[in-house]
Amino acid sequence: MRKLLTIVALPLLLLSLPYLSVAQVAITGTVTDSKKNPLPGATISLKNSNFSTTADNSGKFSMTVPGDKGVIVVSNIGFSPQTINVDANNKSLSVILTEEAGKLEEVVVSGLATSIKRSNLANSVASISSKELIGTTTQETVDGALYGKFTGANVSANSGAPGGGISVKLRGITSIVANSQPLFIVDGVYFDNSSINAGLNIVSKAAGQGSTLFQDNPSNRIADLDPEDIDRIEILKGASAAAIYGSKAAGGVVIITTKRGIRGNPRVEVGQTVGEQWQLRKLGQRSWDTAKVKDAFGAAGLAIYNANNGKIYNYEDELYGRHGVMNNTRLDVSGGSDKTTYYAGVTYKNDQGIVKHTGYQKTSYRLNLDQKITNTIDVSLNANYVESESNRGFFNNDNTSTTLGVSFVSTPSWVNLYPDANGNYPNNPVAPSNFIQTRDLITNRENVTRTLLGGTANWRIVNSDMHSLKITARAGIDQYTLATTAIFPKVLQFENGGNGTNGASIYGTTLSKNSNINAFAVYDFRPSTSMSFRTQAGITAENIDQNTVVSTATQLIGTQTNLNQAGSIQVQQNKLIQKDRGFFAQEEFNYKDIAILTAGLRGDKSSRNGDPNKYYYYPKASGAFNLHNLPSWRWTEVNQVKLRVAYGQAGNFAPFGAIYTPLVPVIFNGSTGSLIGTTQGNINLGPEKQKELEFGLDLGILKNRVTFEGTYYIRTVDDLLLNVQVPGSSGFTLAWKNVAAIRNNGVELAVNTIPVINNDWKWNLQIRFWKNTAKVTRLDVPAFNTGAFGATLGTYRIQLDQSPTQLVGIAGPGESKDPQSGLHRFGDAEPDFQFSCGNTVSWKNFEFTVLMHWKKGGSNINLTTLLSDIFGTSPDFDKKSLDPTGQKVNGAYRLSQLGVSARTWIEDASYFRVREMGLSYRLPKGIVQGISLIKVGVSARNLINVFSYNSYDPEVSNFGTNAISSNVEVTPFPSAKSIFFNLTVTF
Amino acid sequence: MKNSKYISILLFAAILAWSSCKVDVINDPNNPGANTITVNASLAELQNLVDGSESGMRDNLNNYYDGVGVIGREFYRYSTSDPRFTSDLLGKGSAVLDNNTFYTTNPFDARYRVVKNTNILIKALQNTKAAITDAQRKAGIAYAETIQAYELLMVFNQQYGNGIRVDVADPNNLGPFLSKDSSLNAIQDLLNKANTDLQGNSASLPFTTSLYSNVASDFSKLNRAFAARVAIYRQDWNQAGTALSGSFFNLNGNLNFGAYHLFSTAGGDQLNPQYFPLNSNGETRVVEPSFITDAAAGDNRVTTKTSKRTATAFQDGLQSDYDFYVYQSNVASIPLIRNEELILIYAEVQAQSGSSANAVGAINVIRNAAGLANYAGGTDLNSLINEILNQRRYSLFGEGHRWIDMRRYNKLNLLPLDRPGDHVWTQFPRPATE
Repeated sequence: MRKLLTIVALPLLLLSLPYLSVAQVAITGTVTDSKKNPLPGATISLKNSNFSTTADNSGKFSMTVPGDKGVIVVSNIGFSPQTINVDANNKSLSVILTEEAGKLEEVVVSGLATSIKRSNLANSVASISSKELIGTTTQETVDGALYGKFTGANVSANSGAPGGGISVKLRGITSIVANSQPLFIVDGVYFDNSSINAGLNIVSKAAGQGSTLFQDNPSNRIADLDPEDIDRIEILKGASAAAIYGSKAAGGVVIITTKRGIRGNPRVEVGQTVGEQWQLRKLGQRSWDTAKVKDAFGAAGLAIYNANNGKIYNYEDELYGRHGVMNNTRLDVSGGSDKTTYYAGVTYKNDQGIVKHTGYQKTSYRLNLDQKITNTIDVSLNANYVESESNRGFFNNDNTSTTLGVSFVSTPSWVNLYPDANGNYPNNPVAPSNFIQTRDLITNRENVTRTLLGGTANWRIVNSDMHSLKITARAGIDQYTLATTAIFPKVLQFENGGNGTNGASIYGTTLSKNSNINAFAVYDFRPSTSMSFRTQAGITAENIDQNTVVSTATQLIGTQTNLNQAGSIQVQQNKLIQKDRGFFAQEEFNYKDIAILTAGLRGDKSSRNGDPNKYYYYPKASGAFNLHNLPSWRWTEVNQVKLRVAYGQAGNFAPFGAIYTPLVPVIFNGSTGSLIGTTQGNINLGPEKQKELEFGLDLGILKNRVTFEGTYYIRTVDDLLLNVQVPGSSGFTLAWKNVAAIRNNGVELAVNTIPVINNDWKWNLQIRFWKNTAKVTRLDVPAFNTGAFGATLGTYRIQLDQSPTQLVGIAGPGESKDPQSGLHRFGDAEPDFQFSCGNTVSWKNFEFTVLMHWKKGGSNINLTTLLSDIFGTSPDFDKKSLDPTGQKVNGAYRLSQLGVSARTWIEDASYFRVREMGLSYRLPKGIVQGISLIKVGVSARNLINVFSYNSYDPEVSNFGTNAISSNVEVTPFPSAKSIFFNLTVTF
Repeated sequence: MKNSKYISILLFAAILAWSSCKVDVINDPNNPGANTITVNASLAELQNLVDGSESGMRDNLNNYYDGVGVIGREFYRYSTSDPRFTSDLLGKGSAVLDNNTFYTTNPFDARYRVVKNTNILIKALQNTKAAITDAQRKAGIAYAETIQAYELLMVFNQQYGNGIRVDVADPNNLGPFLSKDSSLNAIQDLLNKANTDLQGNSASLPFTTSLYSNVASDFSKLNRAFAARVAIYRQDWNQAGTALSGSFFNLNGNLNFGAYHLFSTAGGDQLNPQYFPLNSNGETRVVEPSFITDAAAGDNRVTTKTSKRTATAFQDGLQSDYDFYVYQSNVASIPLIRNEELILIYAEVQAQSGSSANAVGAINVIRNAAGLANYAGGTDLNSLINEILNQRRYSLFGEGHRWIDMRRYNKLNLLPLDRPGDHVWTQFPRPATE
């Protein structure tokens, strides 16, 4: 018994030793910025110890310093840290921090359970604060809020349809057929970002001829996360930083941290935004006369034109002309005691699209709790529930002339499509569908309910000056139901009278449940004040279970849409089940903040690999060298010089099912049979492997008034998967094989400065430049075309020693030909470079921000123009600006090039945009009793756009977020620009 | 400090324990897997494999029959969407057969897909623990081998001098291409081997087949019919005669008795791909004109297998007044082999063996059925073979024989060329992926 007591008591005694010191000084104080605004959450730490505390939500703090004096460091992101000597005579402090450019005091993720001060970071990890994310203007989705805010990303909206659908590619192409999107992690929970098709293909038949890819234009599920909830985002762009996430991280990792409560009285913030969006660029309509009508639509067309007395309808305004009202209401409450802090937020968003009957509604609820259980144990919980509904219209490519987009370009403005007094829509006499009828009567809706739960527990087992040991355990569940509803009533022109399927009612349900658990131990060892070691090791587990059922009912009875009320029902089910297990270990060494060296290893196994129990290893190593911390450093104008180098590996799974050789169902003789599929699975398949080497130089000048960050990276992706042709005598025509490699090289430069700062004025300027070039360095199969509609119209071509995103096509006279394919290279989807410039200017209580984004180069395949030309409806059909001989009008010239050269369809997609602009005013304090802050403002998104691209918007993708095949345009939902009025009241 | 060491050790042990814990193999949640069905298939799964194989046998028959039918100058395949039916297949001008396009690769791939499926069936039969007798197991495997032999013969018919691969059990380690003669011998051997487990085996197959009887000893008759066809291709008249006697050959029986591919309008099932409505334009099959002009007066095979069009069909310098009308609905069955062919094989074997009287007797069965008088021509071998080839042309019209028959007797140069500069191909090229 006594022995037992000793065993229990001794460690307790050891643990509590630091708290038992006799002499101590209790200090209190406030932390503010230069304008006396409190800095909630600022960190106050005692030098040479692991004591620290944070300021509450009014900037107040208190701390007990052991001994009779000490040195404290007060720091906050975006401010220069301050070192203060405290003792019994100086224990009531009023700390004013001064702003600096850059975010050197920020802590950034460095391992699965650790973070590091940015000034010691060896990787180029981008971070975006809440203010940068939503401070200027309101945002529809998180990914849509990322444009131009950090280097190294190619963020592109697939269309203007409400509810999202955005592709984020970090540092170029990382896969040809597998996933190319980054992994999203929200408060430690793996956040599913699937794009799930609604089954529209049965009507559009878009996949089938020319391309086998679906073109349903679904949203991607990161849209469910409310941007208002986000405190900060860190972006691990490539394997050198993302190796800690192993086999899921080749596309990079976006780590999202949501807002948490800060100790203090309840703080209530109410925000209301009202705005309007309208078509980003109007193209106008072709003007007509009898000769043109006869030319384009023949005698039959002329008869219609004449019968209607040449009346013209403005269909562009009719279809795309709505000024959609946008509304965003936000309420959050936060605060708490020393032991418990909470943050609760609710957002209601309701945006109308620019096309009638389209729009996006979302309600998001969040509750984040932090609880200290003992001095050494704390837990935090996050709960998020989201309901959303998006009505997305019916756009993009088809092979049935039924989508609104295709129908719009195939209908001249002199055809009357409006319903009569009884609401009966006329058939479109010149095309298979009446887009006004389609718009008014169809449904294409996505409904999501999503629950995200996460929890973290920390136990600081040992906490002494020399040793500390912490155990962290995390678990999370991400569960959602996505219901897709697509209804094409029988009355539609393309669904009756022998066309279509007499109506179609398509209901899809996806149940997705992801869960993850991990546990880590972090051990810090500080043998002296000049060096420290940090060791971490842990285990991870993730499970994915996704089940999609799409029921398609056709031959509908009357106006019924119930699946039972149909002559024919087809059901498709698709399950995705995955189990991953892994471990992670890392060692960091810090010598006087001069040299910071890190080495780590992640091992992952997964049921997605041919051998589910084979470990794949992802090592990483990095070094950061702060030359300015050398004792011999004398160049005081330059207060930071950091050289850094980092290497890492990350993986990417093969598409689900690639390891299987399935037997597919067939119907025969009144029975069902199993016939071997045409694609041979590969049981030996391993993940695609990315290796990235990154070099960087970070500078801080004039007390960090100017900071510079420059990075050069080389990343190779090996063992890229392709579905390759195999000898037919094997019984298969295709097989999955690891047969290609791509190398990406790139440069990322960023300058942050504060050119002006004084009592009234402050100007913060950020300039970013980034560029990526890619090349196929290995290809074990013959070069092939992919990702579009063939060489006549321009296509991607995977070819050795060429960019994987090159756009080639048939070569006209005088255009050079590739000797092997006979095709000419007309462009590349990859931009030449991107440039962005962010400005924040504040004067007294006014603040003006503007974010400009310039994408130079990068080409699109523009088939909207082709379709409009074919139907003679192009707005610029009669202009004469293209034909070098000056003979033909543009429409006729472009059509004359069809089959001659693909040049006409491959267009430069450069653009310059003012992404965000905002002006806000804080009312002077104390105007209204009990209200601590009132902020009013006006803001805009994409208000100014400059591009020569001949369509609605150069930012477009008919094929959604696929790795290769973005940058193809076929009659998309046009993009919008928007302005908002904002009001925020804080109690 | 001590306890932190213990904790570290504990943690380390936990990680080790964790990393050794197994991730279970997750089988394809969406489809049965080729690897799982072969381990211990249920009776129902065996039936699924059989139905899948018999369904797969129908895949791409259109491209097969169009290929051999157009080159054999039986009919033209008009297509507005693909000019290669009338250019490449007819050897128009400088056009040649492509080794990497649908008419070469699709039928080739489809036949080997069935071979693969039957190989899975064989493995499933070998390993199944379902309640079947050993005799049933053997009969089932013999069924699968018979199907394989038939599918390989279809591949051989197009590849001919290129030879084919027969050993394709391991997709990652395919057997060699055999020579032309070895390929045919291997097909014959495969049929003979299968027949040893079928002939006289009174057991039922462990599944039902739509092709012929479910009783092994009956199914042997289909196997022997195939064997007879392969034997005459090998000019092994003796073996052909023996095979015929084991087959369902019946000199006085129904000419259409035999084995057929079935089609239906049921959802998901296939329609007869050789059927087009009469007087179609654009996409259609029309009769090569000499089939009409060469026909004996009163031959009712002409009137039942063709139909005069309301308007002449023109395309690519070709013309015809008659629609190909062997199949009169989109659910008409397509024969694998039937009694009429066996009677003609009998005639050929008898003629080649010097029994001209038996040969003429068989010829007359066919002629009379077609509404023609008895054969009155010469009874020397040459005359008889010409007569038999002619009867085969009309009796088996559109069933994929004319080109192969003329090739067997080195008479491809006698096939009509309807445009100057057209060519008759001897064989299809070996697919590029091989």
